[in-house]
Amino acid sequence: MGLEVKNYWVLQVAGREIWITETIVNTWIIMLVLIVLAMIARIKLRSFKDIPTGFQNAIEAIVETFDAFALDSLGEKLTYISPWFFMVFIFILSCSLFSVFGLRAPTADWATTFAFALATFILMLFMGIRHREGSYLKSFIEPHPIFFPLNLLGELSKPVSLSFRLFGNMLSGTIILTLYYALTPLFVQIGVPALLHAFFDVLFGALQTYIFVVISLMYVRGAVD
Amino acid sequence: MPSRIMLLAAQTVPEGRVFALDFQTLSGIVIQLINGIILAAALSYILYKPVQEFMRRRTERIQSKLDDAEAMMAKANELKAEYEQKMQGIEKERAELLEAARLQAAEESSVILENAREEASQIKEQALESLAEEKKRLKEETHLYIIELATLLAEKYIMEKLDDEAQNRLLEEAIAQLEEAEWKH
Repeated sequence: MGLEVKNYWVLQVAGREIWITETIVNTWIIMLVLIVLAMIARIKLRSFKDIPTGFQNAIEAIVETFDAFALDSLGEKLTYISPWFFMVFIFILSCSLFSVFGLRAPTADWATTFAFALATFILMLFMGIRHREGSYLKSFIEPHPIFFPLNLLGELSKPVSLSFRLFGNMLSGTIILTLYYALTPLFVQIGVPALLHAFFDVLFGALQTYIFVVISLMYVRGAVD
Repeated sequence: MPSRIMLLAAQTVPEGRVFALDFQTLSGIVIQLINGIILAAALSYILYKPVQEFMRRRTERIQSKLDDAEAMMAKANELKAEYEQKMQGIEKERAELLEAARLQAAEESSVILENAREEASQIKEQALESLAEEKKRLKEETHLYIIELATLLAEKYIMEKLDDEAQNRLLEEAIAQLEEAEWKH
């Protein structure tokens, strides 16, 4: 595991280079695993019973917990956008959990965190205009039109702060673990890193996932209310 | 467009980096956004929505069963109340019937007692009458027997003491008395 995001391939598209980075490849791996798991769950859904047990219990618990969480945070009228945040939740959590197996977390790359923060920002604008129409746009010039630049800056800073918070936290874990592996002798690289991974990847990862999703939901809800 | 997309050889791939703000980061953001949209669509279509739908249907099914159970409970309670009301009615009716039977029995008992008393009184009266008659009859019989006995005694005495002349005189006196007695009646 290194500090840099490696580049695997370079695509030439319309005379421009597009780098296929470690982040993108790892994202595809995680996507593939999640989609396969989802398909297995979908196949098993046919044999789901009224009283859940085992695998059904786990799937229902994930969906139901997130559903209740989204309903609580977004309110009844915005639950139709909960699938996006369900994906964000599962994906960011999976990124952290996959890094336990040595896969560099895609969330330790600002491109990933900003992509999701940008999606939140777009959703925030779109939902604000859709549900509040003129009053949402008017909020940019309140309490006086002179405050427009400040309000605009305040809104634009939301995705930036959201993305850097997650990126910084995930990268810090990656840096600490990379330094540990690089600077410690081999005999302490067995056993001890498990605790560091449990802390930085599992615990921190779950916490940062929760924070990222909660703040995203609050931004969208704030734009609508 | 495929002719314009080209994969460069591995040796020409640039060095990795931690963070930068350039076109590559922008392209990375766009690719990750597209990845996110694809994953969101896939997870939503394959897992999230079907599981939600399954749980919604199950909730509806359970709710329907609960509603049915509640309706049945209400019906059962209604039947119970009706039954209890009927039971109360029956209890009241039973008490009324018992009271009526008790009253009738008391009435009949008093009638029977009255009849028995009357009958006893009649029997007693008849017995007393019959006793009086018997007494009278016995008295008469005793009187006649005494008369007969006195006559026999008198006859015997007279036979021993009186002569023929005295006998004739007494006979005449007796005939004379009898004649007078016939006149009296």
